[in-house]
Amino acid sequence: MAELANILTVGLLLGGIYALVSVGLNLIFGVIRIVNFAQGEFVMLGMYGAFAANAALGLDPYLAGIVVVPALFLLGAAVYWLILRPLQGEPMMQIFATFGLLMVLENLVLAGSRGVSVSVNSLVSQMSVAIGPVQIGLSRLIVLAAACLVSLALGLFLTRTMPGRAIRAVAQDRKAARLMGINVDVAFTASFGIGAALAALAGCLLAPLYTMSPQIGMNFIMPAFAVVVLGGLGSVLGAFVGGIIVGLTEALAGFYLDPALKQAVLFMVFIVVLIVRPAGLFGHAGAEEMGLRDVT
Amino acid sequence: MSPKIRGFRGELPITLAVVLAIGLLMLSQMGDNFSLNILAFTFLFAGLATSWNIIGGLGGQFSLGHSVFFATGAFITANLYLVWHVSPWLALLPAGLVAALLGMAISWPVFRLRGPFFSIATMAFTEVLLSLAMYFDTFTGGARGLSIPYRAGLENMIFRTRLSYAELMLGYLALCLLVMAAVTRSRLGYSLRAVRENETAAMASGIDVLRVKLSGMAVSAGLTGIGGALFLMYVRVVDPPTLFSLFDIGVKMALVALIGGIGTIYGPLLGALLIIPLESWLRAVLGNAVPGANLIVLGALLTLTALFLRRGVMGGLEAGWRRLRRAK
Repeated sequence: MAELANILTVGLLLGGIYALVSVGLNLIFGVIRIVNFAQGEFVMLGMYGAFAANAALGLDPYLAGIVVVPALFLLGAAVYWLILRPLQGEPMMQIFATFGLLMVLENLVLAGSRGVSVSVNSLVSQMSVAIGPVQIGLSRLIVLAAACLVSLALGLFLTRTMPGRAIRAVAQDRKAARLMGINVDVAFTASFGIGAALAALAGCLLAPLYTMSPQIGMNFIMPAFAVVVLGGLGSVLGAFVGGIIVGLTEALAGFYLDPALKQAVLFMVFIVVLIVRPAGLFGHAGAEEMGLRDVT
Repeated sequence: MSPKIRGFRGELPITLAVVLAIGLLMLSQMGDNFSLNILAFTFLFAGLATSWNIIGGLGGQFSLGHSVFFATGAFITANLYLVWHVSPWLALLPAGLVAALLGMAISWPVFRLRGPFFSIATMAFTEVLLSLAMYFDTFTGGARGLSIPYRAGLENMIFRTRLSYAELMLGYLALCLLVMAAVTRSRLGYSLRAVRENETAAMASGIDVLRVKLSGMAVSAGLTGIGGALFLMYVRVVDPPTLFSLFDIGVKMALVALIGGIGTIYGPLLGALLIIPLESWLRAVLGNAVPGANLIVLGALLTLTALFLRRGVMGGLEAGWRRLRRAK
């Protein structure tokens, strides 16, 4: 029993990581339907940003977000304006363009860091909390809490505020949104910037948990796509649940099957969901076709 | 006036002339092992990108999972040679066949998905099969990998000189170009292009869309499997992470085809002639001073091509040629 509780806790905390990493992609791919393979690199840049802020300014990684998040917002907005805006409605070219960006960002950091792995410590790194028989690292708990909060905030932003509604309107029907007086380019640029900023936030909060290498973004991007599609395109709640499902699947498969097979199980589940229900568990049926057709 | 449609027989002399020209280029480098090595890889990737182009370019199905077929071909050949002592030449047939069957088996469910969802699913399949390959290590060697002992001889497809390997890869490239030319000028090729342009319209005009996609994928995956087998015999040491590599195999095949010109017969060859030597040169010159410099350049080229040269160098040349003729 204690064993199962342990595995479920591990899975839940892992799910928190995946949910947090995927929030930005959920906005960029789930809501505004831009394929961004460089999203994992934004998380990586967030982690290195936390490292740099710690080294240069002595900021704790949990406070580094104050600097890193706005910086990544600007980078994201610039990336959208320069690279993705000309490729509206061309998802296949978006794949190639953002894959190129992924290679550039990853290898720029590789060249800059000369391939040396780095890590950053926080005051809370060593602390842990005991819940019943299970010991939980405080930094992991913070990630789970942050995933809940950020998902909730994003959900409220998209459904309850005018800018959020504008973003959804633009995603659903560009022409009609423009006729309603929404500045389409600004809405997309802002969304993409927010998506990148959320990735940076995830990166800062994850920085104390990982040893950083420039390739770490690749570890996040495929699970993040799995989370967003599993949960349901355009559903913020869905992506959160998707993250938890991915985390639990990985933990359970790792324990009951074989740690070497957890990736295989995870991505098989993803492929099956993709094929059986491409709109995801919480998405509206047919949502996966949105934004891929007749965009003007 | 109805447009003149060139059949396979009309295409054949052009294909042979191109192969001959590339062959002369190779012979001009005779004795220079460094160049011959780069040329061998250039020919291999030209062949691979041409194979990808059949389903990716003609059919518009942007697979990022072709490394799976590449690895399948390599592992089949390695096992047939090491365990059953089958000559690699004979092993090419099962390597291509199994890769083609696997291609159809994987694609059959995934072809329901369109656009980016198809690409993401093929990437997910790469991850699944890489994990499985690491786990079932009796077949793949697992993390240690497999190595082919050096026993030079034509029957073992192991040669003493670089030139022989370059010739081998040239042969593979010629095979891929011939198949591509034949498919482009065949009913299958026209059906694939119809599916690429508009799936619904293709269905409405009586094309069995799934069947056409599966046939295109089978040909493409089969050729890729043969390429994997030849890669194995050239480098003689392989492991699953190398063969299933998303960057070095799966995406690079698509990238070379995109930069050269998607959907054209000779575009991927042109792309490989530009990219592979450039990358090898960057790695040799800057590899120590700036690690990853070759990938920075490659990534930037990929982004720029997607932005400004959507039909690749070949498409750009065609457009320029047309403008020139109109100006006269």
